[in-house]
Amino acid sequence: MSTLHVVFKVAGAEYAIPASEVMQMESFTSATPVPGAPTHVAGLMQVRGRVVPVVDARARFGLPPVDRTLDSRVVVGQLGSRTVGLLVDSAREVMKLAPEQLQPPPPMVAEQAQGFVKAVAQVGPRLVMLIDFSRVIGEEKAHGG
Amino acid sequence: MSVDLADFLPAYLTEVEELLSAANAQLLALETAARQRSASPRTVRELFRALHTIKGLSAMVDVEPIVSIAHWMETALRHADQAGGRLPEASVEPMMEGLRAIEQRVRQLATGAHVSEAPRELLERLEALEGTGRGHPGQQGTSAMLQLEPALATKLSASDQEQLLAGIASGRRALRMDYVPSAERAAQGLTINTVRERVGHLAEIVKVVPMAGATPGGGNLTFALLLLTGAEDSVLLEAVGGPPATVQSIVEPSLPETTPISDLLAEPLAPNEEGAVVEPRRSNVLRVEVTRLDDALERLAALVVSRSKLARAVKELTDAGVQTRELVQVLHENARQLRDLRASILHLRMVRVRDVLDRLPLLIRGLRRSTGKLVRLELDVGEAELDKAVADRLLPAIVHLVRNAVDHALESPQERRAAGKPEEGVVRLACHARSSARLELTVSDDGRGVDAAAAAARAGVPVPASSTELLELLCRPGLSTRVSASATSGRGMGMDIVKRITVDQLGGELSLDTKPGQGTTFSLGVPLTITIVDAFVFECAALRYAVAVSAVEIIEVDAASLVRPPSLANGGVALVERRGQAVPLVPLERLLQRESGREGPGPKAFVVRQRGTPVAFAVDKLLGQQEIVLRTLEDPLVQVPGVAGATDLGDGQPTLVLDLPSLGAARSGASRMEYVPQKGGVA
Repeated sequence: MSTLHVVFKVAGAEYAIPASEVMQMESFTSATPVPGAPTHVAGLMQVRGRVVPVVDARARFGLPPVDRTLDSRVVVGQLGSRTVGLLVDSAREVMKLAPEQLQPPPPMVAEQAQGFVKAVAQVGPRLVMLIDFSRVIGEEKAHGG
Repeated sequence: MSVDLADFLPAYLTEVEELLSAANAQLLALETAARQRSASPRTVRELFRALHTIKGLSAMVDVEPIVSIAHWMETALRHADQAGGRLPEASVEPMMEGLRAIEQRVRQLATGAHVSEAPRELLERLEALEGTGRGHPGQQGTSAMLQLEPALATKLSASDQEQLLAGIASGRRALRMDYVPSAERAAQGLTINTVRERVGHLAEIVKVVPMAGATPGGGNLTFALLLLTGAEDSVLLEAVGGPPATVQSIVEPSLPETTPISDLLAEPLAPNEEGAVVEPRRSNVLRVEVTRLDDALERLAALVVSRSKLARAVKELTDAGVQTRELVQVLHENARQLRDLRASILHLRMVRVRDVLDRLPLLIRGLRRSTGKLVRLELDVGEAELDKAVADRLLPAIVHLVRNAVDHALESPQERRAAGKPEEGVVRLACHARSSARLELTVSDDGRGVDAAAAAARAGVPVPASSTELLELLCRPGLSTRVSASATSGRGMGMDIVKRITVDQLGGELSLDTKPGQGTTFSLGVPLTITIVDAFVFECAALRYAVAVSAVEIIEVDAASLVRPPSLANGGVALVERRGQAVPLVPLERLLQRESGREGPGPKAFVVRQRGTPVAFAVDKLLGQQEIVLRTLEDPLVQVPGVAGATDLGDGQPTLVLDLPSLGAARSGASRMEYVPQKGGVA
């Protein structure tokens, strides 16, 4: 059974997340910064009346920041009772991925990606990385307390 | 079909008595102002509003004498408002008498006595106030004159004429409808009896006068029905089978018609048109100011914090090997007691949904009159309860949905009959607690359903594929589903406001289910409680923030009088003088990890107590003080010390609500964090 995935780009690389985990997509205008939150938290956004934290994928992946453009998107994911946005460079595609297309990431990639990449899919000439959304948005508490 | 007014009388009386006592005080204040020749526009408006609400409520319970008196008092106040909030001293006495006359009639209602007519002499004097205000001599007698052919005029008693005039004064139209009976009509089931019955749904029939004489259809009898109504001519005509029936106004055209209520409402002075219905319902048991309950809640929060400290101290003792089993037991018990106490305080703020909605039948009754549609309200709300703050915010949304349902969704009786539905439409309001924290409320009708294609065409977008998309479309600001705004909903708020209230303000959910020809259901899921905070809104380093008023004191910062003690750290803390005491002054942007791009601290500062000592936080600009809905941040990513939550100030962007003492403590350079999550013990 192939399942629908949302594909997004961060610093030229392509990532995918199961569409079933995505609540909606929002264009990004601004987020309200939260002092004391982890550095990869861009801030707060209002989505369908809920106030949700937005994780900056670039900061999370250790990539240099860029100016946000009209292409910038927030992929709003639902994870149990949590709703968290992921700020990405662009997101304009959905694709079906079959289980047999998915390969475990090579050990070096897995290590380098801090477990953010769950699997890698070969789609024609493209390589799409399936992310572990719960890892990316992080379980870390905002403060060490 | 008819609403039993006896059910509403107690609520009506409570409300009007309260409004009257307020009106008395306001009029006295205006008298004082008039003597001192000073203007008091605010009091004029408040008094206007009180009278306008009295008028609206009285019209709903059919007490025309009160309606007329309130109407003329209201008109005089409108002129006072136009005169910059000055009520002439000479106007005070007639106005006082007006209030007395209303009070007297309210008492008559309360005791079940017959309500006496409005004293003509008083009405004339009040009317004259209006005339002088306008700058032309007051007309004697009534403002509107009836235009009736003599044959008809002689059939009307003085009280019939008075009834018509009072009706006109209250903003209704006085009409003469001629119905010509015929064999053909009778075959269609139309006789003067069925006409009476049908028209009776749409209008108040003052008198039916049979008149002999040749008719268009070749007959020799016409029934002239004298009506007071808010319904449109076409609706009335339709009810009696169209021509040869005719409808015409019986108000003398040479004199200006009394300003209809709807026009009054369009003027700047006019209160919210829903005012009479939306005005929060007062409990008849014990009235406690909500702020007192908030105060209790705040004290409880302090108790919770000290319990957490106690728990920590006990844990340290335990870790040090001290026998603490009994202490721990007491602590557990204490935690449970605090939880119960919090629940009971929150419970005090709960109002029954049924009580909140008890004006809706009156609203429906008014809509039935103004639209000429037949509609029944079904309430199925059980014993559900809501926090007062939520209820007050939610009610305007419900009123709007109900109004929309009657106005747009329900068809006319003729249309319904043609569609094989009962002539009487149903608007149903139901609610049940969905969980311990949320309430689901539905407003449904059995009308024509939302025309998705028409709505899409109006907005110039493709037809929505799902009900979610359709709802989003309907909630676009400014979208009206009707080409011409109707009298009742036209000036009301749009669905965008319903969405703003439900989703953005209350953090709830809104959904739609509609079936063409069968009806529409709106579902609102709202939290049972919300936290309302009186807050200062301010700007710091180009961003807006809010802070609870109760937590801070504002001081001005005079840059020239700042004292900078020697400091090792770069940009060390300055000292500012407050009531003879030197208080450390910290630029707030430093704690917020932002750059101000400005030399030195901002011009205003909030003083808070931090571990017993005052500390001042400098900010750029104070933007104002307002009530905000505090939304706590649930996600661990953003649960940080010093941020109590977020709020929506109306721009769709979350604004942080700061907890300055915690923020200061967390960032004052000390490595230990003193942050105690408020939810810790009693959530």
